[in-house]
Amino acid sequence: MDFLKPAFESGRIDFEGQNLASTLSTLLIACAGGVALAVGFALQRLDVCFYAYALCIVAAYAVVLPPWPFFRRHPLVWLPRKGRVYASTASSSSAQSRRTLVEDVSDDDSC
Amino acid sequence: MYNFLQRLSALTSFAMSTLMVLAILISVTTPLIPSSPTHAVTLRSVQTTTGRPVDPFDKTSRSAEYARLTFDVDADLSSMFNWNTKLLFAYITADYRAPGFETNRVVVWDRIIRNPRQAKLRLRKHHNKYSLRNYALTFEGVEAANLTLHINPVPYLGLMYDKSATSIPLSLPRAAGPAGQVGR
Repeated sequence: MDFLKPAFESGRIDFEGQNLASTLSTLLIACAGGVALAVGFALQRLDVCFYAYALCIVAAYAVVLPPWPFFRRHPLVWLPRKGRVYASTASSSSAQSRRTLVEDVSDDDSC
Repeated sequence: MYNFLQRLSALTSFAMSTLMVLAILISVTTPLIPSSPTHAVTLRSVQTTTGRPVDPFDKTSRSAEYARLTFDVDADLSSMFNWNTKLLFAYITADYRAPGFETNRVVVWDRIIRNPRQAKLRLRKHHNKYSLRNYALTFEGVEAANLTLHINPVPYLGLMYDKSATSIPLSLPRAAGPAGQVGR
């Protein structure tokens, strides 16, 4: 399932952006319902009501789904790098002791 | 909501829930929409005859008393069409009281009206589509009979209901020949 990984990791936004996305999506979809009801009832056509609803939902997708810059205004502040931790192997035949990288506490390069 | 697929899933599920609420709102508010239909039924004549046996393939069946109605219908039902009306079902029933049975209702005519153009009814000297015959094969003891026009709007979303009716009295005279005879 590794081929799905890029799909699952794309479009990341920071936490404030997620809050905004959640509020925006609730607002937009509720308004879509109201607008669709009003437009359909005014024109007295049930099919127009549901077409208008679908159109408003597509507009909501366009606003919330892509990782727009305004969702990334508050990126995470990580602590500074501590450095790498190496361990020397005791049983080494060669003159130089090989170093094994145990842990790399570098930044996560997300967001 | 941290990645594209999460947002897609959350939006889509909320959109489906809102769609359901929209459908429920539409179906619940439809009976509140006002309409002003005009309807009138005039009865011209009623003829009763002893007709053919009830089941032509059963030798022991008896001949029954049948009523043949001639009536006029004047109606303008176009205001009953709103955005949620699929069709109108108009039907005429004969309701009466008979010995042994408190309520009797026989549908004698019906019509499906699919759009406001077909909703202007102007019928002259129409006969009943379906035979009017009492369960007891004779109209003896039948009283308080009337002819009623009902309109049923069938919605796209929601429950059907009986919207309006207009009622006129109906007299069912007895037939000349004897009813209840076996065979012809």
